[in-house]
Amino acid sequence: MSLEALLPSAIDGLMLGFVYGLAALGLTLIFGVMKVINLSHGPIIALGMFAVFILFSGFGVNPYLGVLAAALVGLLLGVAIYFVAVDRVINATELTTLLATFSVNLMIIGVATVIFTTSPRSIDIDLGALRAGNVTILGTHGVAVAVAILVAAALYGFLFRTRPGKSIRAVANNRAAAELMGIDSRRMLALAFGIGTALAMTSGALLATLFSFTILSGGTYELKSFVIVVLGGLGNPTGALVGGLVIGLLEGVLTVFIPVAWVPVVEYVIFVAVLLLRPAGLLGARA
Amino acid sequence: MTSLAVRSIESGYGEVQILWGASVELGPGKLTTILGSNGAGKTTLLRTIVGLLPAWKGNVLLDDRDVTRLSPHEKAELGLVLVPEGRQLFSTLTVLENLEMGSTPKHARATMRATIDQVFGLFPRLAERQTQLAGTLSGGEQQMLAIARGLMSKPRILMFDEPSLGLSPLLTMNLFEIIRRLKRESLTMLLVEQNVQMALAVSDHAYVLERGRITIEGPAREVRGMEQVRKSYLGL
Repeated sequence: MSLEALLPSAIDGLMLGFVYGLAALGLTLIFGVMKVINLSHGPIIALGMFAVFILFSGFGVNPYLGVLAAALVGLLLGVAIYFVAVDRVINATELTTLLATFSVNLMIIGVATVIFTTSPRSIDIDLGALRAGNVTILGTHGVAVAVAILVAAALYGFLFRTRPGKSIRAVANNRAAAELMGIDSRRMLALAFGIGTALAMTSGALLATLFSFTILSGGTYELKSFVIVVLGGLGNPTGALVGGLVIGLLEGVLTVFIPVAWVPVVEYVIFVAVLLLRPAGLLGARA
Repeated sequence: MTSLAVRSIESGYGEVQILWGASVELGPGKLTTILGSNGAGKTTLLRTIVGLLPAWKGNVLLDDRDVTRLSPHEKAELGLVLVPEGRQLFSTLTVLENLEMGSTPKHARATMRATIDQVFGLFPRLAERQTQLAGTLSGGEQQMLAIARGLMSKPRILMFDEPSLGLSPLLTMNLFEIIRRLKRESLTMLLVEQNVQMALAVSDHAYVLERGRITIEGPAREVRGMEQVRKSYLGL
C-alpha cells in the first residue's frame, strides 16, 4: 500500500472507532458503577450480531430495526445476567466476579455454538457510497457512526439528566449513602448492567452490518474493548469514546504500513505500555 | 408525628459483637441524644437502626410497625433517615444533584422544588454552589449539604451521627440553631454528638451508651445534672 491510501484508511478506521467506542462504553459503564469486569462482554457482542442476522435473514426485518431490537434484548438480558450471576457475588473480590461473568461467557458461547455453529455469516445490505477523490465512505459505515453517536449521546443524557441516571451515578459513587437516601441500589446496579449489555449488543449489531462474523467474533472486539477502556481510564465513559477513536484510527493507519495480522500486536504493546506508564489511562483519573 | 422504638438490639461486625441489648425510644416530635465514649457503639447502633448492619437480635419499631429487617432504602421510603458520620456525600455529583438524590422517597419527590428552596433558605451557601461538585466543597459546606440532603427526603425521623465533627465553633453554633429550628417544627430526631454540652442543652431526652448497653436514661435536664455524666462526658 502507498501513502495515497492513508487518508481513506484513516477515515475508515476513525469511523469504525465510534462503533468500538460504543462497545467499550458498555464495558466501562459496568466497571465504573459496580467494579465488575464483565468477561461475558464478547459473547454478548456476538449475540448482538446474531440478533440482527436472525431477524434479517429469518424474518426479513430491516437490519437497523434489528439494531434497535438487539438493544432492547440486551437490556433485558443484562438485567437477567445481573440477577442470575452477578448480584450474588457483587460484594465478593474481583476474582469472584470475574469468574462469575466468565461462566456466563462460557454458557453463551456453548449454547450459541450448538445453535448457530461457527460458520461465518454476513448481512447483505448496500446503502451505496459517498465518494470524494480517493476517499470512499460506505453508507453502512456512515449509518453505523450516526447510530453510535446517537446512542452515546443518549447515554450521557440519561446519566446526567434523568433521575434513574443520576441514581446510577450516586450508587457508583457511594452505594451505602445511596441506600440511606432511599435509592434501591440493587435495582440501579441491575439497570446499569442492563445498559452496559445493551451497549455491547448494539455495537455488535452495528458491526454485523459492516463485516462478516461468527459466534466467536465477539472475542476480538472484547479484547479491543479492554485496550480501549484501559487507554481511556477504567470507568470513564468519555475515555472509552476517545479510546475507541484512537484505536480505530490506529488500525486504519497501521494497515497502510504493516500487514493486518500485526495490528493486534501493536495494539497490545500500547495496552501494556499504558498499563505500565499511565495506569489510570491517558485521560487521567476517572471523571 | 412518628415514634421509633429500638428493643434489645444486638449487633456487630463479623464475629465482634458491639451492641448487647440496647433499647432506645424516640418520643414523637422529641429530640433524643445518645452519649457515649468512642467505641461505645453509638455509630453501630445508628447503622443497625437504619439497616446498614443487620440486627442479630431485637427489633426496630417505627410507629409500632416492625421494620427491623427492611433494607436502608425501604426505611428511607418510610421516612427513617440517617445523616451519616463523615458526610458520605456523592462527591462526583453536583450539589443540586445531591439534593435531588435526597428526594428519592416518593413522598418527597412531588414537593422537591419547594424543599430545595427551603434548604437553600437554611443554607444560602449551598444555593451559591449548586452547580459545583460536592467533592470540591469545604468541610463546613459538605456538612451543610449532608444535612440538607437528609432534609430533602422529608424525613419523619431524622438521625444525625456526629454532625459537628470537623466544623468550626461558628458553624457548630449554626448547626445547633438549625437543629433547634427542626425541633420547633416537631420533627422526631436522634442526635449522636461529640459536643455533649450542646447536645444535652437542646435535647429533650438522653441516653448513655457504655460498652454496647444503655446504662443511664432520662430527661436531658436530669441526665445533665448527674454526677457520673458530669465527670465522664462533660469534663466537669
